[in-house]
Amino acid sequence: MAILLLMLGLSGFIYYLDITIRDAFDGRKFAIPARVYGRALEVYSGVKLTPAQFLEELQSIGYHENPEPNEAATYRHTLSGFEFTTRDFVFWDGMQAAQRVRIEFSDDRVSLLQDRGNGDRDLPLLRTEPPIIGGIYPGHNEDRALLKLDQVPKLLIDALISIEDRKYYSHWGIDPRGIARALYKTVSGQRIEGGSTLTQQLVKNFFLTSERTLTRKATEVLMALLLEMHYDKDEILETYLNEIFLGQDASRAIHGFGLASHFYFDRPLDRLELHEIATLVGMVKGPAVYDPRKKPELTLKRRNIVLQEMVRLGAITQAQFVSARQMPLGVVRRAPTGTSPYPAFLQLVHRQLQRDYREEDLRSEGLRIFTTLDPRTQHYAEQALAQRLAQIEKSRKIPANTLEGAVVVSSTEQGEILALVGGREARYAGYNRAIDAQRQIGSLAKPVVFLTALENPDRFTLLTPLDDSPLVWRERGAADWKPQNYDHKFHGNVPLHTALAHSYNVSTARLGIELGVDRILDKLPKFGIERRPPPFASSLLGAFELSPIEVTQLYQTFADGGFRTPLRAIREIVTAGGKPLQRYPLNVEPVASPAPVYLLTAALQGVVREGTAQALVNWLPAELAVAGKTGTTDDLRDSWFAGYTGNRVAVVWVGRDDNKPSGLTGASGAMTVWGEMMKNIQPEPLHPVVPENVELVNVDPATGLRYEEECQTAMLMPFIKDTAPKETSDCASASGSSQKDAEPKTVNTETMPAIKKETEKKSWLRRLFE
Amino acid sequence: MTNLPRLLFISALLMMIAGCASVTRQPAEQSPAPGDMSQESGENILAEPEPRPAISENRAIVALLDKARHDTEAGKREAAGASLERALRIEPRNPWLWHELAQLRLSQGQYERAIAFAHKSNSFASRESSLQALNWQLIGKARVAQGNPSGAEQAYKRAEELQQ
Repeated sequence: MAILLLMLGLSGFIYYLDITIRDAFDGRKFAIPARVYGRALEVYSGVKLTPAQFLEELQSIGYHENPEPNEAATYRHTLSGFEFTTRDFVFWDGMQAAQRVRIEFSDDRVSLLQDRGNGDRDLPLLRTEPPIIGGIYPGHNEDRALLKLDQVPKLLIDALISIEDRKYYSHWGIDPRGIARALYKTVSGQRIEGGSTLTQQLVKNFFLTSERTLTRKATEVLMALLLEMHYDKDEILETYLNEIFLGQDASRAIHGFGLASHFYFDRPLDRLELHEIATLVGMVKGPAVYDPRKKPELTLKRRNIVLQEMVRLGAITQAQFVSARQMPLGVVRRAPTGTSPYPAFLQLVHRQLQRDYREEDLRSEGLRIFTTLDPRTQHYAEQALAQRLAQIEKSRKIPANTLEGAVVVSSTEQGEILALVGGREARYAGYNRAIDAQRQIGSLAKPVVFLTALENPDRFTLLTPLDDSPLVWRERGAADWKPQNYDHKFHGNVPLHTALAHSYNVSTARLGIELGVDRILDKLPKFGIERRPPPFASSLLGAFELSPIEVTQLYQTFADGGFRTPLRAIREIVTAGGKPLQRYPLNVEPVASPAPVYLLTAALQGVVREGTAQALVNWLPAELAVAGKTGTTDDLRDSWFAGYTGNRVAVVWVGRDDNKPSGLTGASGAMTVWGEMMKNIQPEPLHPVVPENVELVNVDPATGLRYEEECQTAMLMPFIKDTAPKETSDCASASGSSQKDAEPKTVNTETMPAIKKETEKKSWLRRLFE
Repeated sequence: MTNLPRLLFISALLMMIAGCASVTRQPAEQSPAPGDMSQESGENILAEPEPRPAISENRAIVALLDKARHDTEAGKREAAGASLERALRIEPRNPWLWHELAQLRLSQGQYERAIAFAHKSNSFASRESSLQALNWQLIGKARVAQGNPSGAEQAYKRAEELQQ
């Protein structure tokens, strides 16, 4: 009876163990994190692309050089380009089969794109596989980069089996001799140790505990046997490779060889070399003891033991052994936090996904997420921010690493976020200033005031004089407001475009009050700014907070001719099985009339040409005709620049996290980052289409009257139809301070914009619009 | 290579036919009553279509348009949308591509979006009055389907003016 009971109890226990271990195993095996991809490169004849950029792209998606590049993901150099073979890849719109391709370049453009074989016919378009830029991983602070068995280098498996479990492919989950040895040592009073097969190690890893008792060991053995009954060797090995504990990064446990490869070598596993693989395999024995960062000598010794075993068992040749043994460890000094090189962008993607998906689905369903990130633009954005901030600190004797910053770059017509930098240490996840920093935007708000004015063409043109004399404004709920200009002077009457170019506060405030504070602030939701600033006149000058990404959304509408295009980071989502799941399509909404927006853009081009952002010419040629606005807040706390070219909108913020004064204006801080970045991005020049109801008229900037084109100081200025000045002044008046009684009113020449007298007759605007 | 211009022309023509078909069909399905009347005036305008200029010189764009067309025929409208967006990333200021996207949204019954894309197309079509006319016709159809006959009438009038 007792025996029966015991057996019943035992089988019950075994049944319990069986359920437990299968739960654990299936849970790990089938929890596939969402994979996040950057944009796929579109290549076609004529596209601007250098051979170096293309090579970088191929390498970023894991292509290898091969003299016979006919296998997937191989390439070789040719005289003027490359031959390569792509992989099969499932995009949102279906499977794209592997292609053998030839590409040639001339003058930094693609000059030829051919399908090799197949009669070498021309390819109209090639979409390369998108680079993986990160993943969304299963919980408990366990980070992993899951691998399929066939993605794991054979050398690694050989090394692992050589050193940890030579009989892996023949045993039943346990090694009876190992267990006998362990038992003997335990019974004879020595330590309980060793004898673990890979299967046992995996079991142990599921229920991580340092407890070493006989029952624990017995449970482990039983579970290992059960596991082997239910799953085949390859399944168990694959799970082992993804599961095994390989280190600790503060609160984050590093599980699996895929993640360990990033953590220690900052490279994917398939790009590791023999000696690096041996290092990782050596660490399995005890990642705390053989920590290559903390105990390099010990780790090196262990690595060489692994290599020794491999050569002894014939997994590598003597020559491979000798050369690998001579290599240094090669571990990167500081581990990247997480598997994504773009943590800030990934955070944005994750937040957008959380609105539409359950967190657990994101972490376990193996969704494939196609995003808008352009690695090249991202690289230039990160580089410009890091370099400029370091240079600014050095040249201005600001203590090192006190300045911070953020950058957002989007495409004008699509609203796709191409780059997002959350801080100067872009590789390390942390405070994401691009989406979370709420900072006063200062003068970046002014274009909204000016646009509102220009939407009343019978009252305002770019030449309309504004009153920049002292102003005191009283309103209920706020202290008396006496706006000051940055130069602490008042400028009398100034033409509207000049007030914006030089960012005069007083005339802008007066203009905004005249138009109505509410009326202006009411516009913000149309431009995609959902939070409402305080209803005070000071909001007209940007005394309210926005994040860099919100400012990008605001300027997007100006750049896009009055169409609001919601910013997007995700294009499509596909299930693990390749089924299209969701698309985030392009949307546009006309929210402002094209003509006033066109005039505003012309005025913002004036900011760069002759106003507060003149120094941008040190980075970017005048021909680019950038439109932009500097922003500086009280006591120089925030330094902003928001601007756009023909195809890019970008916003930069620079300041301090503790909100103390940074000592920088928009022009001395953020604008220099913007210029440095755009210099490398090489965007298209800004030539907006002239709306039908806009005419370009030559005017004399001094008098605001029509001018003959021949007059040297003539300036081509856009006007909404029937609002251009009617009277014509003589060229001669340019030299004197001509005062005519005609409307529009003449303005004080002292405050005139510094228009350079060009020897050539064509004005900047004329050149622009031709 | 010598076939290219012909190919472009034929594809443009095909697309136009396909475009007209989807434009005329959809609103009628959605809202038959007010649709019938205004639809006629729309068809009158379309009675003698001029051959369209090639949508783009860029073969990548032509290939993407082909793909979009095949996907539309196969009922994969969102895939067609994805291809049109790919084309727009390459030529963001090509008014014909925006017009194609407007047509696609119209055929999906997304009228507000169709109207927005038609306006967007017009913003780049200042020198192409025939395309502007097509866009205004499309706006007219969408407004009909939205139950806005007076707005539709205005749009059709704009289209007619532009045709003259």
